[in-house]
Amino acid sequence: MIRNKSMKRASLTSAVIAAGAMVLTTLPAQAATPGVTANEIKLGISSPTSGSAGTAYGKIPGAMKAYFSYINANGGVNGRKITLISRDDRYFPVLAATQTTKLVLDDGVFALVGALGTATHTKAYKAAALAQENVPDLFVNTGFSGFGDTTKYPTTFTVLPSYAMEAKIMSKFIKENFAGQAVALIAQDDEFGIDGVNGFKAGALTIASTTLYPQSTLTDARAKNLLTGLGALPGKPVLVMMGTTDVTATILKAAESLDLVSKFTWIAGSVGGDANTLVGGFKVKASTINGMLAASFFPDAKDKKDEYVSQFMKINAKYNKGVSFDNVVLQGMNSAMLTVQALRAAGKNLTREGLISAIEAKGSKFAGAGLVPLNYSTSSRVGYNGYWFGQLNAAGELKPFGGKLSIFTTDSGSGAIQPSEFKRPTMPKNGIPTNS
Amino acid sequence: MIKTTSPKTRFTLFVVFGWILLILGDRVGDFKLYQGSFVATYALAITSIILLTGYSGQLSLGQSALMAVGAYAGALTIFNAGLHPIIGLFMATLVAGIFGLILGLIVARLSGPYLAGTTLALAISLPTLANQFPILGAEEGIVFDVGLPPARFGEDFSQYKWFFWISCLATLIMVWFVANLVSSKYGRTFRAMRDNPVAAQLSGINVGRLKVMAFAISSGVAGLSGGLLVMLISGVSPSAFPLSLSFSILTGAVITGLYSLNGVILGGLVLVAIPEIADSLVSRIGGSEGFITTLPGFLVSALLILAVVFTPNGPGHLIKRHHKK
Repeated sequence: MIRNKSMKRASLTSAVIAAGAMVLTTLPAQAATPGVTANEIKLGISSPTSGSAGTAYGKIPGAMKAYFSYINANGGVNGRKITLISRDDRYFPVLAATQTTKLVLDDGVFALVGALGTATHTKAYKAAALAQENVPDLFVNTGFSGFGDTTKYPTTFTVLPSYAMEAKIMSKFIKENFAGQAVALIAQDDEFGIDGVNGFKAGALTIASTTLYPQSTLTDARAKNLLTGLGALPGKPVLVMMGTTDVTATILKAAESLDLVSKFTWIAGSVGGDANTLVGGFKVKASTINGMLAASFFPDAKDKKDEYVSQFMKINAKYNKGVSFDNVVLQGMNSAMLTVQALRAAGKNLTREGLISAIEAKGSKFAGAGLVPLNYSTSSRVGYNGYWFGQLNAAGELKPFGGKLSIFTTDSGSGAIQPSEFKRPTMPKNGIPTNS
Repeated sequence: MIKTTSPKTRFTLFVVFGWILLILGDRVGDFKLYQGSFVATYALAITSIILLTGYSGQLSLGQSALMAVGAYAGALTIFNAGLHPIIGLFMATLVAGIFGLILGLIVARLSGPYLAGTTLALAISLPTLANQFPILGAEEGIVFDVGLPPARFGEDFSQYKWFFWISCLATLIMVWFVANLVSSKYGRTFRAMRDNPVAAQLSGINVGRLKVMAFAISSGVAGLSGGLLVMLISGVSPSAFPLSLSFSILTGAVITGLYSLNGVILGGLVLVAIPEIADSLVSRIGGSEGFITTLPGFLVSALLILAVVFTPNGPGHLIKRHHKK
């Protein structure tokens, strides 16, 4: 009897302890998700907002904040408002590492969104221990294909098509439209440019002259020296610039002062070809960019007929006052819209694991401004996967080359370049996603 | 007569300070530990400037380049040669020291603005030279990984505490070594050379040799701080050593007081704390993006001007003067 009593007591105690443990392990796990409360989701971004990289890409955090403010004003995501904490890394690896670590450890963000830069973000990812902490690292603004390696970057999703894809499609474009013209390449000497060089090799493009320059070293004097040398190439050489917008501006301004603008057929890569930034931010003459070719995976930011552009323009006018709308703002707002869809797809019980799984499972169906498909899946962490080529006019509008929009998709390896039959999802009503 | 602390007292002070840091390390969060690691690293870089400029009278604007030399040497030792991180940090010191020795031999005849100009050119050109050698990993750089903390420290011993321990220990040992050096006869001859090179030469001091020696030791110290800096970001690349880093360290040294090692921690603290102060100021009073990004630079510049006007020999000197009154 006593034995039975003690057994009963033991069973009861065990049951209470087990139930208590279950409650304790369930509740704190939910409450302990960093950066998420019942009415707030805290996100972070480390990107350059000052210095020359800041002039080129500094509008991204502001554009994202503007879109989140719009969503917050319309009820937020599952009742939670989004707060975006922006920190300036000036495109320096040490600052990117410290700022990202601060966002994760000190600010306690739930996820990172829209980080910018390859050399900076590779350092930041490791320093902030994003893999160990399982911090979602969403929609990174880089085309470095290495971020697709899930063993090294298990929580990262990039948004731009890879530079290798861009170079492959550009090879096809040049061979088809400028056959017989010598091709010169000026590219940044890091994973950005090297990815591009490999893409041109995969695209079997013959390049007469390749110049690789370390980041921040292509000065006005060096650009002039370089253009003087390339000016000796016969005919009207195609000059491809695979660099950041500040470098594109340096090269174009050097050409202006050497009176060599008409000597070349200019092609700017997608990262460095925003007309508004070139003319408005870096004071390149409008006549210089008139006729320049540029790659893009977005609609032209000046195309008010595009439903995404027009909606984002409205949001920008209301929530990002005084900031002119351009490709950079478009990119920022688009990434913010993808983020909202990802958060919605992850459900009400938001966890870091759940967010990553949601993008893997549903990310390819997210609505976005891109004219090419999103590529997210369990085996792909690269976002958009194609390009179209256009020609800028003096007003900075990017019009389809030859009057016809031709979009191509490919991969970062040796896969074929295919014409795209992608039908872009329509803009959610009033720009507010309702996916689940 | 210059009053100096005895070596025994100095050693005790360093050990006590080390214990305080150890205890402190257990009481603050990971982010504070990470910031503390940067404070220690910058304090070490400032030490290298104080030794070179404050004690031996040679003005260098190229300390970031010497840090880069150490950082690459350390990274190659760990990543390519597969040796232990401690050996990596030792190699960072040694290789930067040898580089400084060679550089010192070349620039021994220069002084004042000529030396400043030469080292400035070095700061601009040397990190970007790394792009020319594939072994150095171009702009992407190479990994500098000291690995996870030893398992015997337990699961709660974070990566950031590990960084804090390594950087503080390395800094304490190196600053202790430099403090002993400047208190020895070499310190006296350094000061004699700084104050009047001709008189020093006439009293039998080999000024040329001493200059080279100061350059080599200072480079070694800078090299170690470079190694620690890239340890904190887990990789080395040319853009980790911008010219602005040299100016920041020099600023830290001026605020600390160029003629004393007593306040190097203060210099490191200032460099790490200023962006934080700016951040909290902005969040309290609000302001545009432009205001946010320019405020840290403004605060550092203001502090530099105030330091030059009110405490040209460092805050320590000001306190001493106050006590004398």
